[in-house]
Amino acid sequence: MKDVETRPKRYERVIILALLLASLPLILGFSLLTISSLSTNMVTNLDPDSFHSTLENWINLFKGKIATTGGIRVNIWRITLNTLVVALGVAGVVTGISALAGYSLSRIDFRGRKILMVLLLILHAFPGVALIVGVYLLYRLTFPQSHDLVGLYSFIYVILARAALEIPMSIWLMKGFFDTIPWEFEWSGIIDGASRITVWRKIMLPLIKPGVLAVALFAFLAGWQDIIYVRTFLIHPTLATFIEANIEAEYSHMPLIAAAGTVYLLPTIIFFITAQQLLLQSYSGGIKG
Amino acid sequence: MRKEKLRDLSFFLSPMVLMVLLFYLVPLIMTIYISMTRMKNWNVERYLTEFVGIYNYERLFYMFQHDPTFKAVIMTTIVFVGITLMINVFGGLSLALATFFINERAASSYRLLWLLPRMSPIAVYSLVWYYFFHGSEIGTLNSILMSLGLISEPIPWGQVTPWGAWSVIIFVNGLVGVSFGMIVFTSALNQIPKELVIAARVDGASSWQISKRILIPMMKWHLLYVLTWQFLSLLTTYPHLFLLVEWDLVNRDYGTTLALYVFNTAFGRGEQDQGLAAAAAVVLSIIGVIGGFVTLKVLQFEKMMKKPRGDF
Amino acid sequence: MVKVILDNITKRFDDFAALKGVTLEITDKEFMALLGPSGSGKSTLLYTIAGIYRPTSGRIYFDDRDVTDVPPKDRNVGLVFQNWALYPHMKVFDNIAFPLELRKFPKEEIAKKVKEVAEMLRIETLLNRYPWQLSGGQQQRVAIARALVKEPDVLLLDEPLSNLDALLRLEVRAELKRLQKELGITAVYVTHDQAEALAMADRIAVIKEGEILQVGDPDEVYYKPKYRFVGGFLGSPPMNFLDAEVQDPYLDVYGNRILIPIQYRELVKKLGVRKVILGFRPHDAEVVRGVAEGLVGTVYSFEPLGREQIVTVSVNGASLKVFAPEGEHFTFGEQVTVKLREDRIILFDKKTEKALEFLEE
Repeated sequence: MKDVETRPKRYERVIILALLLASLPLILGFSLLTISSLSTNMVTNLDPDSFHSTLENWINLFKGKIATTGGIRVNIWRITLNTLVVALGVAGVVTGISALAGYSLSRIDFRGRKILMVLLLILHAFPGVALIVGVYLLYRLTFPQSHDLVGLYSFIYVILARAALEIPMSIWLMKGFFDTIPWEFEWSGIIDGASRITVWRKIMLPLIKPGVLAVALFAFLAGWQDIIYVRTFLIHPTLATFIEANIEAEYSHMPLIAAAGTVYLLPTIIFFITAQQLLLQSYSGGIKG
Repeated sequence: MRKEKLRDLSFFLSPMVLMVLLFYLVPLIMTIYISMTRMKNWNVERYLTEFVGIYNYERLFYMFQHDPTFKAVIMTTIVFVGITLMINVFGGLSLALATFFINERAASSYRLLWLLPRMSPIAVYSLVWYYFFHGSEIGTLNSILMSLGLISEPIPWGQVTPWGAWSVIIFVNGLVGVSFGMIVFTSALNQIPKELVIAARVDGASSWQISKRILIPMMKWHLLYVLTWQFLSLLTTYPHLFLLVEWDLVNRDYGTTLALYVFNTAFGRGEQDQGLAAAAAVVLSIIGVIGGFVTLKVLQFEKMMKKPRGDF
Repeated sequence: MVKVILDNITKRFDDFAALKGVTLEITDKEFMALLGPSGSGKSTLLYTIAGIYRPTSGRIYFDDRDVTDVPPKDRNVGLVFQNWALYPHMKVFDNIAFPLELRKFPKEEIAKKVKEVAEMLRIETLLNRYPWQLSGGQQQRVAIARALVKEPDVLLLDEPLSNLDALLRLEVRAELKRLQKELGITAVYVTHDQAEALAMADRIAVIKEGEILQVGDPDEVYYKPKYRFVGGFLGSPPMNFLDAEVQDPYLDVYGNRILIPIQYRELVKKLGVRKVILGFRPHDAEVVRGVAEGLVGTVYSFEPLGREQIVTVSVNGASLKVFAPEGEHFTFGEQVTVKLREDRIILFDKKTEKALEFLEE
């Protein structure tokens, strides 16, 4: 409770209504996209006559046809898998590195600690676009000669490069989680004979499980939603580049793209429903946009 | 003892250090280097060693003075950052306050809804607004206005320069940024002792009075925080804009900010000019780093850094 | 079991001096209480013994071994924290076994030792539970068991009872005292609760602002406080203090003349002090009705406590608390006289607030 319970109910309804009104475009936009995927035409013009319900888009999507006529085929499962690999990779790299670094910034006093923390904040605020030019040159310079390795290489590179972008803030976030653990837990382990590494692994990590999960979740979504890095570095298509390429393409059937968009949106929605408390609580740590 | 600490530190920090070196420091140096070469179309073999000094910066300065396209980009950046920032800060504040005064269930539903723009895949989110602002009858906005009889012909909103294009990009990015302020302000509000609100209620204050007299004055630091961080974010953001421009929803010149200009010059369709892009990127970085340091000083971040305890 | 010697320990945190030249010897098998208000540095001192903090200057010895630079894990101390710091993700058994696992004890031996210590603390039926499934008292036992299982040379306790409710605290207090004596382990016990220190400790070290004011057995610090602070910190209600002026052979106490207590007559003459503070404990005086020899004042308030009552008497603006037997009825504003037990009076120097008998130390 953050307010008296006898506060005027009338005003509460007014506020809720006002919020609804302000949120209307948002609700409308996302709903129309999802509904269109179940129709033969786009229904974004709000005309009920243009809605003819069909599952054809979804069937075609899963069959890998992106045009109702003609034979342009893509393997949507492959594309989804590519997106998933990138997202999971980013989540893994970011979580691991920030769990390590976050602990030491929170718990170990060493020279340069403050500077490092300030540096991370500056890196977080640093224009990503200024880096991507250099990151691409590095990519070109280290590009493997062997043809077989190119695909693997581009996956690894896009994961690392995209993860790097998330690392400064994730470390700060993780440090914040470590900060909340009472020092007594640490001291207790130290006195019992544990090294810092053992303390980290056996005591601290289990204690900040929710924090680790939150960071992993954000990193996953960052990798999942990315378009710039995958289109620049990844040789294989992802859902993002698939949608990007098929807007305004003459052959593509738009409700089908809407279905692809809905598929692409799904993990976000699932996380929303399952982890809403975690999201709202730990998001305050730091986000950029 | 000292050796042990060194071992611990390298265990905990080396992956991060490696990452920062590889994907921040080295690329930054490379970007600066490229800005002094004639690099074009990523023809590394041919142009990487063609050193031209500050030629690209001179070009940039010349364009700033004479090139109407580049002038439009600068103008767009200023308008976009300025107005979106205001929308972000005040929108976030309004959302946080509004959800503060309603029951927890409704409040968290709204907060989640407003997180959606940030959490959605960029391509999907842009797709949503692509249809919303579409220039034909299929566009939601056009069809609403037409059925209300306010307009007779569909209007290609994003192609109306400059304000049509600006409105669209500000709207689309504004919704993304609002959630940052909302989250920060909400957590600030939750830290304000609830007794203050209850006492004010007992004294007969309205929600508006409570907001104005108690809540907002206690969130000064957070207002400043959101203002400065969001400024830096807006200055450097470009993925949404990239898609809106690429899909021709908004006018190319008046939908492109400096950050997107850098990206499109380096990676866009047609003639790529990485030398010029890198020079613009360096300029942007300088603004960003100065902004970052000012932010740290203004917000006194150093004070927030507690020292670890214990001497073991 | 060891003797702990702290030799002139100083600890600074940036600009703040937490400990200023603390010297203390804790003998083998002794139960030493570190008593002081919050922020006095008592916990810092405990953590310095444990090795969590490294003294800025000074040495620490366990018997003859200089452990100042020895890391915590090699000091063989057991520490019980105020919040107990039980690992919430481990069952009770694993919590207690953790120190042994770190020392790479074989599995069977761990199981045996955990069982032993659990039986001693009567928590053997709880080994399969998680800490959050236990009551406060049970958690506290687990914390003690975890500290004891590695058979430490010194047991360090940081306000271990402060998270328990009042009734349970009394019970555990007695038990802990007995346990320490049975095991014959050197124990250092940090507390801000004077009753706890008096009840449990062999000796008490009273700490204020990073300095030890007095070390002694409970009777000594209670009846012979070296400083006004010590008298004021121990006892409930604490010692009464009244400003007094020496007018040989009398003391002028807020307009009342009383004879200088016999044990101080020589000393006052010798030291030639003029301004002193007269201290006495609430039970070392009695309240009689009307005007008599002693401190004359009026009843400000009275609080029956069952067996006895506390009467607050106002003497020309100064306020003092005296125990009176039950059944005697006072009224607000009634004129009374407080008669002091002469041999229990302590005189402190007004300026240094040190008891006169220690003034020349």
